[in-house]
Amino acid sequence: MGRIIEEIYVWRLPVRLYHWINALCMVTLFVTGMYIAAPLLSPPLGEAVWYKGMAWWRYMHFVFAFIFIANFLFRLYWALFGGDKYARFGGFRPWSPSWWGTPFKEQVAAYLFLRSDEPNYVGHNPVAALAHFLFIFCGSTFMIFSGLAMYGENNPAGFSETLFGWMIPLFGGSYTLHFIHHLGAWMLPIYVIMHLYAVVRHDVVDRTSVTSSIITGYKHKVEEEPV
Amino acid sequence: MQSNQTFADVFRARGVSRRDFLKFCSLTSVYLGLSPSMVPNIVQAMENKPRTPVIWLHGLECTCCSESFIRSSHPSIEDLLFNMISLDYDDLLSAAAGHQLEDQRRKIMKEYKGKYILAVEGNASTKDDGVYCMVGGDSFLNTLKETAADAAAIIAWGSCASFGCVQNADPNPTGAAPVSDIIKNKPIVKVPGCPPISEVMTGVITHFHTFGTLPDLDRLGRPKAFYNTRIHDKCYRRAFFDAGMFVPSFDDEATRKGWCLYKMGCKGPTTYNSCSKIQWNGGTSFPIGSGHPCIGCSEPHFWDRGPFYQRLAEVPFLGSDSNADKIGVIAVGAAAAGAAAHAAVTAVKKAKADKDNTDKA
Repeated sequence: MGRIIEEIYVWRLPVRLYHWINALCMVTLFVTGMYIAAPLLSPPLGEAVWYKGMAWWRYMHFVFAFIFIANFLFRLYWALFGGDKYARFGGFRPWSPSWWGTPFKEQVAAYLFLRSDEPNYVGHNPVAALAHFLFIFCGSTFMIFSGLAMYGENNPAGFSETLFGWMIPLFGGSYTLHFIHHLGAWMLPIYVIMHLYAVVRHDVVDRTSVTSSIITGYKHKVEEEPV
Repeated sequence: MQSNQTFADVFRARGVSRRDFLKFCSLTSVYLGLSPSMVPNIVQAMENKPRTPVIWLHGLECTCCSESFIRSSHPSIEDLLFNMISLDYDDLLSAAAGHQLEDQRRKIMKEYKGKYILAVEGNASTKDDGVYCMVGGDSFLNTLKETAADAAAIIAWGSCASFGCVQNADPNPTGAAPVSDIIKNKPIVKVPGCPPISEVMTGVITHFHTFGTLPDLDRLGRPKAFYNTRIHDKCYRRAFFDAGMFVPSFDDEATRKGWCLYKMGCKGPTTYNSCSKIQWNGGTSFPIGSGHPCIGCSEPHFWDRGPFYQRLAEVPFLGSDSNADKIGVIAVGAAAAGAAAHAAVTAVKKAKADKDNTDKA
């Protein structure tokens, strides 16, 4: 085994907190959302007024949705004003050859086994930056906007309806928006599979402790294995 | 033609007492969601303003809107209102026919230029110059454009005229298009529903007659007074929804107990209408009240939103009917299979690299 050459503090506490709160929220939102779409539990015995079976699942969905939104806004703030070089938007510059040029192509080639060596980034590599932009930034934004539009439906002219109600006609009605929100939820398990696989694989290939880095904050540079 | 009569004149001529007339005005103000202080305005308008001339066109439609309008179970109010508006042209109901009737339409258009209401039931076929809907020797598309040109406002009756309904459901062979797709320069009130509730229809006309303006509209162009909230929000079975007590199938005991029809595909949570407030046939019942899930008939493109008896719409995906969950599971499976395959190749590659290193050493 190679010796640890350097310890790099990559994920600062705000990033790690964001990551785990986000993970918790997304899993809870997925589970509660799927339950709302298809309530599986048997109905309770007795009077309807005694129970809050469905209402509780919806309430949990809303509670975690608002935590998710707050957490997302906090992460945006951190990306823009945190002054954290591994957590800013800087890593994602789709308009610039410094991003889609050599670095991106090299990383894609490595993932496609077209190169023998693997580029190694301390922060996010360009492909990871793209995945996070699409799934986490665009995906969360869409789920938040559509979610708030639907949340506002029972209070016309209220805060949510006024600010996000335009989503409903944009997607051709409330039912279609519900459908697309539901379809969008499936981004989560797809993303989780790809994310976990990529992390574990990079840890095995690069040996940078990327898996534990989201708990400890530290990644490691190790010596090439002595030949 | 009695087009200069006021509503009150008509009421009197039909033997309605002033007391009943005032009752009607109060009731209408309640339906419109107006404050009690507005009742005198309605009374004043009904007594003094000449009846609003209405041209009622029928396009590609089934006449269920007219049925709803004229066959309400409280004829003392609605049927009178039907007589009150100066319905100067309605090719379905008029005794006259042919050129005589078409001349009448053009005469009204000239006499009341910019003042009449154009009520449109049904929509227009736009494909092949609109030949799939010919009325009075011309395509309905042309008639609609011609009549709309001088109208003060347009009321789009029903889901057909508002959103397209069954005519423009996939694959829409006649190119049927709702009124708002054809007429762009006139205020349009959409009164969707298949058919709309009769009180909603009369309420919209009363509002225009009283205030001379269209009622407040929501983002989809529907009067807020009637389409502001979903059926779900005011549903009397909402308690069962919140408790998680659902009807699992129509032959279940829960059906008899009147539990929530959410799992039976009820579209109440996504349908904006007044069915659960005003109800139908003078407040007798409404679909959910009769044990049937809402099919969402007042929502845009409700025919294409999947089976009526399922929550999740089915969509064509990879050549078969699928829903969001099936698509999601397939995509997750593909991601997992991709990851596994990638891992296998990585392992092979790493083993080979390790072997090369060992060989070199």
